[in-house]
Amino acid sequence: MMLLAALNWHSITFLLFALIACGFAVAVVATSNIVRMAFYLTLSLGATSGLFFLAGAPFVGAMQLMIYVGGTLVLLIFGVMLTAQARFISMKTSGGEWVMAAVLGSVLLGLLVATGFSVESWRKPRADLAAVTLADGQTSTPIGLALTGVRVDKLNTPAETEFEKQRLKGMSGYLFPFVIISMHLLVVLIGAGYMARTKRAGSGMALASAARAPPRVRRRSFAVTGGLISGMVANLVLAIACFAYWLTPAAAAAEGTATTSTLLSQVKTFLEPAADWLFPVLGGLFAVNVLLLVIVYCWQSWAVLGLIAVPLAQAAAIGNSGLGGTATIVFLLLALAPAALLIMLLVTGPRPTMWEQMD
Amino acid sequence: MAQFFNEEVLNWLASWFGGSVGPGFWLGYVLAAAVHIILLIHVVAVGALIFIWMERKIAGRIQDRLGPTRVGGKFGWLQTLADGVKLIAKEDITPKDADHLLFKLAPYVSFAASFSAYMALPFANGWAAQEINVAVFFIIAVLGVEIFGVILAGYASGSKWSLFGAMREAAQVVSYEVPIGLCVVVPVLIVGSMNLVTIGEAQAGWITNWLIFHDPATFCIFFVYFTCAVASVNRAPFDLAEAESELVAGFHTEYSGLRWSFFFMAEYGSMFLVSGLAAILFYGGWNGPVPIFSEILPSLTGWKWAYEQGETAWRVLGYVSQVAGVLNFILKSCVFVTVMMWVRWTLPRLRIDQVMTTCLKYCVPLAAVFFVGAMFWKLSGTRFINDIARHRTPANPNGQTLADVRENWVLFNEKPAPQPARPAEPPKPAEPAHPTTTRHAPPAASVAAQEATP
Repeated sequence: MMLLAALNWHSITFLLFALIACGFAVAVVATSNIVRMAFYLTLSLGATSGLFFLAGAPFVGAMQLMIYVGGTLVLLIFGVMLTAQARFISMKTSGGEWVMAAVLGSVLLGLLVATGFSVESWRKPRADLAAVTLADGQTSTPIGLALTGVRVDKLNTPAETEFEKQRLKGMSGYLFPFVIISMHLLVVLIGAGYMARTKRAGSGMALASAARAPPRVRRRSFAVTGGLISGMVANLVLAIACFAYWLTPAAAAAEGTATTSTLLSQVKTFLEPAADWLFPVLGGLFAVNVLLLVIVYCWQSWAVLGLIAVPLAQAAAIGNSGLGGTATIVFLLLALAPAALLIMLLVTGPRPTMWEQMD
Repeated sequence: MAQFFNEEVLNWLASWFGGSVGPGFWLGYVLAAAVHIILLIHVVAVGALIFIWMERKIAGRIQDRLGPTRVGGKFGWLQTLADGVKLIAKEDITPKDADHLLFKLAPYVSFAASFSAYMALPFANGWAAQEINVAVFFIIAVLGVEIFGVILAGYASGSKWSLFGAMREAAQVVSYEVPIGLCVVVPVLIVGSMNLVTIGEAQAGWITNWLIFHDPATFCIFFVYFTCAVASVNRAPFDLAEAESELVAGFHTEYSGLRWSFFFMAEYGSMFLVSGLAAILFYGGWNGPVPIFSEILPSLTGWKWAYEQGETAWRVLGYVSQVAGVLNFILKSCVFVTVMMWVRWTLPRLRIDQVMTTCLKYCVPLAAVFFVGAMFWKLSGTRFINDIARHRTPANPNGQTLADVRENWVLFNEKPAPQPARPAEPPKPAEPAHPTTTRHAPPAASVAAQEATP
């Protein structure tokens, strides 16, 4: 009993996990059955994640489980099962491959061991070993916040350089490298998708072409054409007007109201209480409307729904900008009326109607 | 718990022999681990017994019959036990063509993965076998390993039906893991922690504080989560790996007896697990719809009832509220398990291409849109049902979540309070120092605040 109490149980569990990890790593090399290799690799990597949990880093341990044990191995087995020609395929390694692998592996091992032993503090036990407590494992929150650009551990660090004084406190995280890595992964995903697509294109896209209907002769009535084109022009003008109003300096606008007391000045006094962000938003949405009208012109029915959604979004923006409820309702009526008219024109008329002809 | 064993039980025993036991003695840890393991094994094993009986009764009622009625007197409630006896008595067969080692090990891989995910699942405030501060992430990661056992079983059986089942399973895994990750992240971001205890405690108070009522996008994303969760536990309409009508029994065609039942225990275990996760992430976890123990009883009696997070002392009143919390949690989880059974016996099975379409073409974009929606809602500070009756405590008078507190660190240059040694999360600072600080400060105000306090 006393002997058991004298043992260092952290070291024993560490040794247990380390033995499992190393032993099954050797088993991966020793076996010739691919699926068994994958299984041994799971155990080895799982034991490695156990080491991380033991070290009080549950985030890294769970990451190890998620990425290696979960993701990679499922993909590996998926690949093996897709590519294996015979059941329970075995790898046949020639003597030359053994030599090459042994040389490469021993060089890497030597490098790692040499690096590991070159670290001074890893070679001898710490002086304050008795004072070491189990880590709290509060690793995930600072890591996650640092990746989004906030170093919570640096909030109280005094600024030294001029740049650090101007920057917000704690704003020295890893957002930029994180975004670069994300972009890299996105590129890899798109590339994988592209490669998968080209393979299918080789088989001639037989299904897609067979399913597609023969080209139809689609006719557009004059009223709809006119409505669409006038709508594009009107929306474009409104978009430009909104952006122009937004970009005009307030002082110049004030001078303008002083000199001209026309309809324009009344509009300006009416728009005075609106928040600054309203005009770029409205202008952008008008520009979206132009785009949607072009898409409707190209026989896409979903854009018609967009033509209704955009005025609603604009009305919501106006309602929140401080112009008042009346202005919102008036705008909504004014903006939805042409859209409703257009939809009426689309769904009425001689059969097949334009709506039925759309994609 | 290990310290409790060491200081209260073992030290008392050792005092009989004139010795003493320190709080770090290994036997206390072994005893605590044994108690946790035995309790959790019973959640999985006894849970499977009850759920299989429930499934039979529910299937019967949905198909307009009675289900089991005889074994054990009324309602056939011992039917699963009879099934279990039959399974134990069955011959354990390994096919000639199988890969013997992997064939024998595969059921245990599945069961061990499903079971070890329970280690991080809290049943009440702080009542988890291991309170990991990345519990959500851990559970999702370990559930992925369960699928590995299924694939292994299918491959090692040496049967074409099993191999087909395993292939389908592999295809299904890569399609549902993406949306389920996106769904789980939303409550994590709203609360600002991956600790399930913190997420559950952030929803204390009235029913309006449950995260499903945080905003419309979170409300919608729960249904995406539930769809993907059903897919992740291989239940109909996503049970392609088994598909009795097409593949005999899919990946477990060649299994019999107790090995076969291990797959079922794993399946029912993970059903309860994902249901429990849903209950904690979206439905308040162990907090009931009415805050009897956290608000009503303390104000009536003047005593302190519910435990606060990180509190370890033993109190009778706290124990009562914890037990009520466990009942709440199990009830909620059972409701979700029942819904899964209802879905299974109502909907026809999807084809594999339909499964991948559902998960990748519908669930991923939906989850992404709702994710962005929930984040916009949170950052814009628009009020919703959550804001009706926030749970306020002396330590947290504004009812802030951890995420709000951290936003204030950055937006208002508030210094976080020094962190004590033990708690699982950084503490919530008391009343925010800046006068303009509200629960959600609008962006304009925050910029002004930054300029005001250089």
